[in-house]
Amino acid sequence: MAESKDISTVVPNIRHAGDAVVATLRGEIDLHNSPSVRSALLKFLDENKPKKLVLNLGQVPYMDSSAIAVLVEALQKMRKTGGKIYLTNLQPRVKGLLEIARLDSIFSVVATEEDALK
Amino acid sequence: MSPSSTSTPPRRLELKITSHPANLAAVRKAIEAFAAANGFDAKGVDEIGLCVNEAIANIIRHAYRGQEDRPVHVAAMMEDRDGGTIVVTLRDWGIGIDPSTLPCRVRDPLEPGGIGMICLQQWMDRVTYAAQPDGGMLATMTRRRSRR
Repeated sequence: MAESKDISTVVPNIRHAGDAVVATLRGEIDLHNSPSVRSALLKFLDENKPKKLVLNLGQVPYMDSSAIAVLVEALQKMRKTGGKIYLTNLQPRVKGLLEIARLDSIFSVVATEEDALK
Repeated sequence: MSPSSTSTPPRRLELKITSHPANLAAVRKAIEAFAAANGFDAKGVDEIGLCVNEAIANIIRHAYRGQEDRPVHVAAMMEDRDGGTIVVTLRDWGIGIDPSTLPCRVRDPLEPGGIGMICLQQWMDRVTYAAQPDGGMLATMTRRRSRR
């Protein structure tokens, strides 16, 4: 029953907007594919060093704690270089998990990409 | 994975999987469907599903130290007590660490790890771990349907 989830299905779109980068993640992220998301995201941050990373999670209906750990690692990496991560378009389950992990106040959570890019 | 459910709504669900992370989603969705069919509301269904996901992920990461071909048996039962209670059991044959005996510490949100255990503590009514005579652990999680 194992199904392969390529990183391209999880991070289908990355675009630049000024000094910000907007990445749209799509699909459920759990222990199966979070290592791939981690590799891609950290590699991207190493290569691009954006001042502002906007992660649009509007098409991510589900995350588990391994995915949250990836977000935290990316946040710490961004903070080291003075950058900032915005999470946008959170779906209820993802929002609930961030809240119970007390991370909703640590990330910059905004409603839309446009809010993050202001 | 070999599901076996009987009546409508099903009173029992059994899943036998290997410890491959690719199996997480299917097990979670099967448990969520079972809970929904037994009258749990959407929030309860979501929380039970995530708890089962986290408990199996802990087995994969810790009990089996990342091995992907070891057995995990998952069962869900619906009991009548307390107005309807779901009981989910997870059996592994790993190294036999009881997660509830690990030292407690104040969690820094920016430290990785521990989120799964928080979910289990917050979203299930009761979680117990029992070492098994032939090795490994049996985790038992319960949650009332009427929980507020």
